[in-house]
Amino acid sequence: MSSQDLTPSPPAGHEAESATPGERIDRRLPKLSPPSRSLTLRSLLRADFVSQARNARALLGTLVLPVVYVVLLSTGKRAVALGGPKFGVASSLVGGMGLIAVAGYSLTLSRHRELGVFQRLRVAPITTSEIMVSRIIVQVAAMLGMAIIVLAVAVIGFSVHLSAGAWLLTLAMVVVGGAEFLSIGQAIVGLIRSSETVRAVAPVVFIPLFVLSIFAHLAKFGSTLEIVSRWSPGGVVATILVAAMQPSTWTLETWGALAATVGYTLLFAGIGIKWFKWASR
Amino acid sequence: MSYGPVRAVDGATLEIREGEIFGLLGPNGAGKTSTLSAIEGLLKPEAGSVLIQGIDIQKDPLVARAQMGVQLQSTGFHPDLTIVEIVRLYAGLHGVDLPQSKALDSLAELGLAQEASRRVNQLSGGQRQRLSLLIATLHEPAVVLLDEPTGGLDPQARRQLWERIEQMRKDGRSILLTTHSMEEAQAVCDRVAIMDHGKILTVDSPAGFIKKHRNDPRVRAVAHGRVTLDDVFIGLTGADIRE
Repeated sequence: MSSQDLTPSPPAGHEAESATPGERIDRRLPKLSPPSRSLTLRSLLRADFVSQARNARALLGTLVLPVVYVVLLSTGKRAVALGGPKFGVASSLVGGMGLIAVAGYSLTLSRHRELGVFQRLRVAPITTSEIMVSRIIVQVAAMLGMAIIVLAVAVIGFSVHLSAGAWLLTLAMVVVGGAEFLSIGQAIVGLIRSSETVRAVAPVVFIPLFVLSIFAHLAKFGSTLEIVSRWSPGGVVATILVAAMQPSTWTLETWGALAATVGYTLLFAGIGIKWFKWASR
Repeated sequence: MSYGPVRAVDGATLEIREGEIFGLLGPNGAGKTSTLSAIEGLLKPEAGSVLIQGIDIQKDPLVARAQMGVQLQSTGFHPDLTIVEIVRLYAGLHGVDLPQSKALDSLAELGLAQEASRRVNQLSGGQRQRLSLLIATLHEPAVVLLDEPTGGLDPQARRQLWERIEQMRKDGRSILLTTHSMEEAQAVCDRVAIMDHGKILTVDSPAGFIKKHRNDPRVRAVAHGRVTLDDVFIGLTGADIRE
């Protein structure tokens, strides 16, 4: 490929009937500046929030299923077996975040990629990071909304006590854990091109992520499973969430779980970014 | 530009003049889409450059893209947004803060007012193409790239779209379009380039093409009576069907 010069040069031998060369010079279109970053980000965020709100699967993941999880995992014998209602709440938050990131985010990305939405966006004067930042902001907002609902249900329905500091720390850990799950979602769409395959793989990834978070503090099935669960991607997030709900129980092991969460995030994000393709073909 | 061992575009040099409709013709796999992708900055050429109003798309992609309006056949719109929301989104991405009422006015001008609250998958092919053209020109760009703009349209919709493309030229825009339709090239293009195997074979006006090549034995061999642009195209690129 040599060069394509799309610099409009004065017409030479142009056979258009519509205008004379003199008229054309009067109409010369000015050079345009790239749009302001605030306007582009605002436009992207508005579109991504509306898309999220209209997506039935995303709404189910955000609002309904995590509440069902918290009711199931924080009541009666199950709550006792898990080590108390806070462990059930933590696993419910992991379930909600997993649904939003692994089922919602990765499926939407692969579907939009297949439809050519990203290629359409990429020919606009915006950076690819703006496209992704907007989507990540929307997912994190959905996770925070889900977390507030789950925590409110836990406080009101299951007498879970949370201090103001615990609320803030838990929501901060939802953001940290959410980043890990989003990076897993990103890795899925980085490694798999077809949206149909992503749809098939998402539950296979989500189920162990969620189930291992439940087993993370359960010695009933032996110490090996407990250790594996506790240090699994879902287990480490459950650990930091449980500690965040009761900050006085934050230990060295919690710091280890936090470091592991950050490590998993970097690993999966690295995979997801390195192999991600904007077009499906 | 190469895809593995296949050289998709090789030494292509084009210049689009101001207020000109330039057609890029070629059989399937000729390198038209790769050329367009390089101009849009979606693919990086191994050598050479693309200048949009003097701005190098590789060196200054955002400024270069701000000068362009693009309608791509292989791309899609957000499936969960309504038409008016899509118009507002792309207006914003091109620096036009378009209120809802103005967006509705723009849609009404194109006869899409009734479709404003519908989704893209509920539009007909012609309505989709009109929407794409609207989005490509919302920010008044100097250069408009159209990838097979009338592909799959019925004759009425095609004529309507030609009129809109002609209007863009009257507004002073330079238009680069790819097409398989020689009728379209002859009807709307001021100049056309025939591309094959990644190379530009020849550039001329449609009438100039016919004049220049009407006595070429390859063209005479495929012509039935009066030589048409179709005959020149097939004569130069071969009659074999490309996948």
